[in-house]
Amino acid sequence: MNELERISNAAGPQPILKPERNLSSLEVYDQFGAMAYGIVLQIIPQPHLAQEVLVSVFASPLLQSCNSYPFSYAACIIKLARAKAVEAKKKLTSLTALEEDNAPFSGAPTPQVIFDLAFRRGLTPDEVAVKLNITKSEVLRSFHDFFKTNGNA
Amino acid sequence: MKTQEFIESGILEAHLLGLTNQEEQTQVRQMVESDQMLEEYVVELEAGINQYFEKESVAPPEAVREVVRLRSTRDKKARQEFSNAENPDRQYLDVEVNDTHIKVHKFWRPAFIAVFILSKIFLIAGLYYYFKTVSQEEELQRLKLQVEQTK
Repeated sequence: MNELERISNAAGPQPILKPERNLSSLEVYDQFGAMAYGIVLQIIPQPHLAQEVLVSVFASPLLQSCNSYPFSYAACIIKLARAKAVEAKKKLTSLTALEEDNAPFSGAPTPQVIFDLAFRRGLTPDEVAVKLNITKSEVLRSFHDFFKTNGNA
Repeated sequence: MKTQEFIESGILEAHLLGLTNQEEQTQVRQMVESDQMLEEYVVELEAGINQYFEKESVAPPEAVREVVRLRSTRDKKARQEFSNAENPDRQYLDVEVNDTHIKVHKFWRPAFIAVFILSKIFLIAGLYYYFKTVSQEEELQRLKLQVEQTK
């Protein structure tokens, strides 16, 4: 069960940074649809599949849990869009039996590469660490470096 | 762990991207709740991450919005129906039932029995008084005849 599912079941934490909001699926879509579609396309580049995933994001009952998500609504949408896209990609790769993720990695483990593996390819930080033969702390630190070098944090 | 170390560890970024496990999520929440500076940093970080993904955003086709609208309307309707079924104070609907049987309150059973018994009593009493009256009239006729004969 992920964090959004726990919030959805009212067993999760209470908001600490943001007050409770109550937006409908369509309002959320109008506000964050393009951003979510961009995220889904980064993980699933096929537009027709990405659109299906996008619909599943905004039709998901977990979307309601974003109303009480402790951080920003956008952060919740990013998390949800990625989770749905990774889930769909895993189903797809299990059907097509792609060995893309099992291929050994060659090259320098830059923050960009680590971010791509974790966010776009759907690997957990532990899996990324094993794949790149580095520690988990280094993987996590790369996320900080990635957003720092992108001038966002 | 000190605030700066915690920030540089990258766990906040991982948390906001949904890449942390439950233990790490709890740790992040506890740290953010207890440290005002960290809370402010998270707000800035969220804005930065949002900005990054907004730059990467792609406008989806208009048809997707329509599908989302239809799905949300359908789901809302389904939820409403479910909550109506769950609500004990719901109104009864006028439904035409094609059935030849009716259901009545259980108190009607003794009432029907009482009406049945009373009707039998009245019937018996009615017959008794009818035959009694007839026999009395016959007796009266017979006595009248006797009186006329004795004259």
